[in-house]
Amino acid sequence: MSSATAVEKPQAKAKKANRRRTFSKRDRFTLGVFIGVPTFLHVALVWFPAVATIYLSFTYWTGIHIGDIQWAGLANYENIFFNTPIFWDALRVNVIWLVWFGAIATPLGILLAYQIDREIRGSKFYQAAYYLPVVLSLAVIGIIWNFLLRPDGFVNGVLGLEISEAVSFFGDDRYNIWVILTMASWRHIGYIMLLYLAGLKAVDATLREAASIDGATEWQTFRKVVFPAMAPVNIIVIVITIIESLRAFDMIYIIYGSSGGLPILGVLVFQNIAGEGASMKGAAYAVILFLLSIVPIITYLRQQFKEDMK
Amino acid sequence: MLNKITGHEVDRRLLLKGAAAGGLGIAGATMLAGCSSDSGPVSFGVRTVDESPVKQAQAIVDAYTAKTGIEVTPNFTESNAFQNNLSQYLQGTPDDAFQWMAGYRMQFFADQGLLEDVSSVWDEIGDQFSDSYKIASTGSDGKQYFLPQSWYPWGLHFRKSMMAEIGMSPDDIYNWDDFMAALKELKAQGLVPLAAADKGGWEAMGTFDILNARINGYNFHVDLLAGREKWTDDKVKEVFRHWEMLLPYQNTNVLDLEWDGAMQLLLQKQAGFFMNGSWFGGNFLEQSQEDYDDLWIIPFPEINPDNGRDTIDAPLDGIAVAKNGGNPSGGKDFVQFAASIEGVEAQLATGVPLTSANNLQDTSAYDPFQKQQQAVMAEAKYITQFLDRDTRPDFAGPVVGPAFQQWFKDPSSTDSILESLQSQWDALAPL
Repeated sequence: MSSATAVEKPQAKAKKANRRRTFSKRDRFTLGVFIGVPTFLHVALVWFPAVATIYLSFTYWTGIHIGDIQWAGLANYENIFFNTPIFWDALRVNVIWLVWFGAIATPLGILLAYQIDREIRGSKFYQAAYYLPVVLSLAVIGIIWNFLLRPDGFVNGVLGLEISEAVSFFGDDRYNIWVILTMASWRHIGYIMLLYLAGLKAVDATLREAASIDGATEWQTFRKVVFPAMAPVNIIVIVITIIESLRAFDMIYIIYGSSGGLPILGVLVFQNIAGEGASMKGAAYAVILFLLSIVPIITYLRQQFKEDMK
Repeated sequence: MLNKITGHEVDRRLLLKGAAAGGLGIAGATMLAGCSSDSGPVSFGVRTVDESPVKQAQAIVDAYTAKTGIEVTPNFTESNAFQNNLSQYLQGTPDDAFQWMAGYRMQFFADQGLLEDVSSVWDEIGDQFSDSYKIASTGSDGKQYFLPQSWYPWGLHFRKSMMAEIGMSPDDIYNWDDFMAALKELKAQGLVPLAAADKGGWEAMGTFDILNARINGYNFHVDLLAGREKWTDDKVKEVFRHWEMLLPYQNTNVLDLEWDGAMQLLLQKQAGFFMNGSWFGGNFLEQSQEDYDDLWIIPFPEINPDNGRDTIDAPLDGIAVAKNGGNPSGGKDFVQFAASIEGVEAQLATGVPLTSANNLQDTSAYDPFQKQQQAVMAEAKYITQFLDRDTRPDFAGPVVGPAFQQWFKDPSSTDSILESLQSQWDALAPL
């Protein structure tokens, strides 16, 4: 018996090793389909359009006949940087948006998550209330707030103001950007809160206990214990904050259409690439937006991974 | 539009396209397109979701089906969305016939080979239109690609009852001084003297057009929009100097209102004058017959006696046949009916006022407001379409629109805005 098992064992090992090394035709086919189809779709739907956009940003084209594409060199970029003042206005709005999200909306979301995580009274209610806007798309949020704030909207109605005297929430440069940022934060805060809450739930409770036994204050516990333990979630939150502020489009488009009421890069891409006015200036805007989003994210991630390696 | 959102309908074409991108739809759509024969059903793209024009379009469709037995499916799309999607729409699987605009905006798509030559329709019913309309319907290759249906003048609108109450007779306003005096008087009455909007980015173009034509003349205006004159010219600065004189008499939330918001100011009797195209008469009629009967229009006042009141923006709307529609002969037959006097009569039967482009329309049956529109039009020697129909589309929408909005925010920056307009014109892609 014993000798039999001894013989069987190496055989089993050999089989296992065999299985690892070679795949049957059927396996290869299955793997090929499972890897090949998604790869093809990914390349066709993500990489091809991205590379095509980059190429087109160096051309003149009305977007209709492939044969009409003309090489333009850097002309579209020159046009944007040196001749298009609205680009700088839009960039300014996007930067303000990013700073607002980074400095106010995201920290507020984290604060709310932390408070709710402590299970204060009614935390379930707060959680639901803050999370509710997240189930709405930004376009729907634009519609809701537009109903409230437009000249013949709810707020001006309650204030009893005629259209000619209405508070110009969306038209007046003094506050339109802050109105828009409030609208966007309304959703963003809930989103960050939920992400962070999920992370907090996963933090080992004994860490906190240990910290409080050592006499750490609430703030110290968060700063020195909880926050570092949340590193993976922090990365996600930062990346999301950057992306959400740079890709902003839907809400603005619902409220202002493609006109320049409150210029942002996302709308400039659309305005210059859709409709009759299509030119590859829109593609150049898209590339600029792409670089703006990707560079800080890659830099941040690289630095983060380097730290992790240490 | 203030009610853009409520009136927004899901674009069926877009849904179809989405399905097509999904995969199987492509085969389905091609098969459908292949099936449609000459006598097959026709689809009709309508670029509005507003009540009155929808009624008119539906009336044409019903009358055509009643006459020929051919089924016509109208697809209604909100007009801004329709415009923004037009390139993609015409390259995909568009409706056989669709509503569009004359002049440059039509020629652009004709040049790209996306419109069906409808010269044969012009051979049939061309005698129902004036020569100038034929020119506006002709592409750069000399063939016709468009059939005119209706027109409307841009001018100063007001409510007769309001003016009568104040004791003002706007028909006597002939020149700039008269106009400024009237605005001053209206302001003293506590009204918004001149309702204005520019949230959409295009509304104020009508005011620019007329000021430029009045001050500098038709030729300069046309040359400026074609790039033969410079935006930095002192003549253009003069336009903005006059425009600035109007600002104290306008509502302050110009950038928060779209055209229909400014129209509400007139409808609710808060504003004296409203510079706009007369198409909104239909909206007044939707309110009540009384509101419609109260509406009147006069030409924009003379500024430079050399030019008098010789120019007017009077855009021409109509219908074209899409090359990729799948049923071009069906589409041609339908547009022939739609633009002909039969189509006009079908629309008139709805009771919605129509100033059609068709010479056979019995203008003696026009209501007083329509007759006044005709009179305003008749005074003009030159007809322009509208800024965004008279210049390059990649200049009008993305460049001029935001520039005018910027000017409303800071009227003292005229010089730098004009310099920027010129440098952006110079930087446009070569045609």
